[in-house]
Amino acid sequence: MPTKRKPPIPVSGVVYGEIIYWGTCISALLVLVGTILSFLETGSSVSVSYLLDAALAGKNVETIWASSNIQQVPNISFYISTWTNGESLTVIGIAAGVLSVIPAIFFSSVYLWRSNNHIFAIVALVSGFLTLLAPTGWFSP
Amino acid sequence: MVKAKKNNVVTKMTWTKRLPELQFLILCTVCCYAFLELFITPSQLSGFSGLSGVDLILLSFLLSVLVAIISVIAGVGGGVIFTPLMLAFTSIDTLIIRSTGLVVAMFSGLVATGPFMRKGLADIKLVFLGSLPILTGGFAGSVGAIYMAQSMGDTGDSLVRLLLGLLLMAIATVFVLGGASTEYPEHNDPSKLGRVLKLRHMYWEDSLQKPVKYKAHNIKTAIGLLFVVGFTGGFFGLGGGWAVVPVLNLVMSVPLKVSAATSGVLLAMGNSAAIWPYINVGALIGVIAAPWMLGQIIGGIMGAHILASIKAAFVRKVLIVMLFATSAKLTARGIEGLFGISVPLI
Repeated sequence: MPTKRKPPIPVSGVVYGEIIYWGTCISALLVLVGTILSFLETGSSVSVSYLLDAALAGKNVETIWASSNIQQVPNISFYISTWTNGESLTVIGIAAGVLSVIPAIFFSSVYLWRSNNHIFAIVALVSGFLTLLAPTGWFSP
Repeated sequence: MVKAKKNNVVTKMTWTKRLPELQFLILCTVCCYAFLELFITPSQLSGFSGLSGVDLILLSFLLSVLVAIISVIAGVGGGVIFTPLMLAFTSIDTLIIRSTGLVVAMFSGLVATGPFMRKGLADIKLVFLGSLPILTGGFAGSVGAIYMAQSMGDTGDSLVRLLLGLLLMAIATVFVLGGASTEYPEHNDPSKLGRVLKLRHMYWEDSLQKPVKYKAHNIKTAIGLLFVVGFTGGFFGLGGGWAVVPVLNLVMSVPLKVSAATSGVLLAMGNSAAIWPYINVGALIGVIAAPWMLGQIIGGIMGAHILASIKAAFVRKVLIVMLFATSAKLTARGIEGLFGISVPLI
């Protein structure tokens, strides 16, 4: 029997954790569907066997994509515009898991502010904006 | 440290039993790979006698599960095992390996975030305190990696292998000497900044059946170190589980269990920015990264179950030997590429 009471768990942390947890579970399911599609589709613009062969042969990223049917290096906009493609859906699935961090940070910052942790709420907002900027590619070389 | 890690993962073990959604995910993954293996017959891969694309994906998934189990038991992030091994023993482009390495490093932490927060083991204030240095460091590291690959080509790849080989040797040495971690560190010097930021918290310690209070110290030093860890993790695609726990535990005097949980949550957030430069240059290839991502989620859970029944110290020794061997191979490949000197290593 516990001799002392359990300390309260911060709501900001629970909110943060729940959003990411469910986001990750959903993203894993998307990745599974994407993987199956990749192998089922015929005549796809991005063939699985080509990608695996090229990667294992040690070709660099630019060469792999330049020699593929799409003939361009894909970014997130490309993947979104071709989301019915297995490879694109797989990357979108992984990205969805990664992106689940963003709403988690913002919602958590609200609860941090309400619990009078104003400094951390502001730090969370700054972190959230940085994470939001990362996918845009503004700072990419 | 091992004992504390064991307690931590035993805690994880109990929550997995109560989460039907995770069991559903495991079932779906197993069914998916069984379906692919039984009903899809893709062309064989050139250079891999008798191995098809599906076989390779299944093999990657199984390896990822193994890596996740070892990393959970040894108390390190999966990226520390995945990235060096792939860079040392395959000829896959280093950017592809490093982007997949970040996925490996990130997803076991992402799925564990919910349970750690629910249990009150991860400290949300420490997570956000470390978020800015880890995010900016990780992002700068991945941008630097891409810039280096684009401007230096093969020389850059060799330099990355050499630097990672040396870093890995340092990590393995830290593990050999790393008996200094303490479960409940005590610190007599009160930290002014820690007081201002109200960095004091309490968590319920199951093994003691009582709450444990702690205060964070050396905040400025820790922030600087976390930036370096973030940069290294983003640049090499390693994550940083090997370094964040010591920073929280040894530098900031945070209890080991809270350090381990906070580290996983913090790295998941930090790597979420670091991965984007790789995605936007096409370095994240879905079909390659997917089995590694799923393996990390499932292997992390299995590792938690297995840990209770094996000697974690033995696995840690195996990991140290593996890190030294991989670092030797990486250093040799780096020297070969940079100076054209043939180093006779397997």
